[in-house]
Amino acid sequence: MSENQPGGAPVPQPGPDAGPAQATPRGPDAVRPGGARRRRRISLGIQAAVFVAAIIAVLLAVDWQTVGESVFNFAAVAPMFPDIILIGFGNTLLYTATSFAVGLVGGIVLALMRMSAFPPYRWLATVYTEFFRGVPALLVFLAFGYGVPFAFGVQWPIPVVVMASLGLVSAAYISETLRAGLQAVPKGQYEAARSLGMPGWRAMVTIVIPQAFRLVLPPLTNEVILLTKDSSLVYVLGLAAHEFELTKFGRDGITALGAGLTPVLVAGLMYLIITVPLSLLARRFESRGAGRSRS
Amino acid sequence: MTNPSPASPAAPSVQASGVSITGLNKSFGSNHVLKGIDLTVAPGEVVCLIGPSGSGKSTLLRCVNLLEVPDSGTVTVGGFEATDEDVDLNAMRRHVGMVFQHFNLFPHLTVLENCTVAQVKVLHRGKAESADVAKANLERVGLAGMEGRYPDQLSGGQQQRVAIARALSMDPQLMLFDEPTSALDPETVGEVLAVMRRLAGVGMTMLVVTHEMSFAREVADRVVFMDGGVVVEQGPAAQVIGNPQQPRTQDFLARVLNPTDVEF
Repeated sequence: MSENQPGGAPVPQPGPDAGPAQATPRGPDAVRPGGARRRRRISLGIQAAVFVAAIIAVLLAVDWQTVGESVFNFAAVAPMFPDIILIGFGNTLLYTATSFAVGLVGGIVLALMRMSAFPPYRWLATVYTEFFRGVPALLVFLAFGYGVPFAFGVQWPIPVVVMASLGLVSAAYISETLRAGLQAVPKGQYEAARSLGMPGWRAMVTIVIPQAFRLVLPPLTNEVILLTKDSSLVYVLGLAAHEFELTKFGRDGITALGAGLTPVLVAGLMYLIITVPLSLLARRFESRGAGRSRS
Repeated sequence: MTNPSPASPAAPSVQASGVSITGLNKSFGSNHVLKGIDLTVAPGEVVCLIGPSGSGKSTLLRCVNLLEVPDSGTVTVGGFEATDEDVDLNAMRRHVGMVFQHFNLFPHLTVLENCTVAQVKVLHRGKAESADVAKANLERVGLAGMEGRYPDQLSGGQQQRVAIARALSMDPQLMLFDEPTSALDPETVGEVLAVMRRLAGVGMTMLVVTHEMSFAREVADRVVFMDGGVVVEQGPAAQVIGNPQQPRTQDFLARVLNPTDVEF
């Protein structure tokens, strides 16, 4: 902590005269100017020692042969390919993309309702948002996967169930993100646009929404990451082989292949292939958005 | 569109409109901000609104182009009865340029795009013509060559001058300035005032809310002192600032002009 505070370290001083004036607020360090630097060096040394000790302990304690057989047994999971990519990876992408599409459209509608001048729209949107942010996504899956067929006698195909369940849940989160983004654009932007003679819709489309879009890109990308992972919840429903996604492949692999945890590890790596680039993308949006977000 | 000559917008002639305000009232909740304001600005006249903060100057200015909707009273700008429910506000606002305290430039657009976006979207000018008009106005405010920059790459004074060029690019007949130098570093105040001075020199109608007393004294045809939501005193700049008649005006000017002499 203290390493990052320039005030704590003996910063190069502008000149000998500046010394006494700056010394007072630095307290004990002023007496012994090398104190802060020495303490920082000791702290770093302790951290390094703990790190090395932990690594040695892990190397000694772990039974590497067992780990090799049941976690990194990649030879034994060969039968998972190419289906885990062609079906599992593909279905995870499909479930994520369709539910994000539903969530985005629903989120836009809900955000507009939240900002409507007609109070019942606002109430409705608030109730919806609070409900779907407050219940577990798993429960929504059960409702659409088992509840709807029971109640109405219609059995939707699994991709539709996923699209509806995750889409409805994510719409609640996305609407809040969009609303925050629109409200984060300063009111003066809208006023400046109106004062140039733009109608309200034109001011929104040309001036406010493009700025809000930059602000919401990082959180929207994070929402896609969450959806990618939440699509695994579909495993609680009975799936046909062509509907399997990554988690289902990983789970079935545990019992079928005798490779211990390896199938789960493989599935996990597949998720990372999707989520890590998205995460990097979100970070790039963040740093780019920061440059031009203020007037 | 008929005259693509890039020189025309910078030409020192303005088709100016006047403003006529009668019986204007505006409240925010229980706060009665404007209490029956009457004010006229003649075409080509430069009027400075001065007064303590909270006196309603900015609200009055924002009522002129209906950014604030008055509770009662009328505002007439050029041929537009702005307070008429059926008036086309967007058409009216095309003729009224506004410059804000905090510039309100569009941060996602370049300097040039800031000055062309409303020309293209509102006046339906062609891109090339809009760019010509914008460049001429940027040159007019001393910012030729800055077209490709983004607002956050400019100093406060430069940003405010872009904001003026943006408003001028719509060929306004009236310019509203809402404390245009209050958010600026002291060293950039002068360049903005110089642009405004030149604008006044070519006959633009200007209504300026300002705390710059020397600017008001030098440039304004008339100074209006407001306090507590009413016009307390108005007249030629030299008279209102140099020889105020009302005690409230005298008190305010004493504090503004000699801030070190204030007794507590």
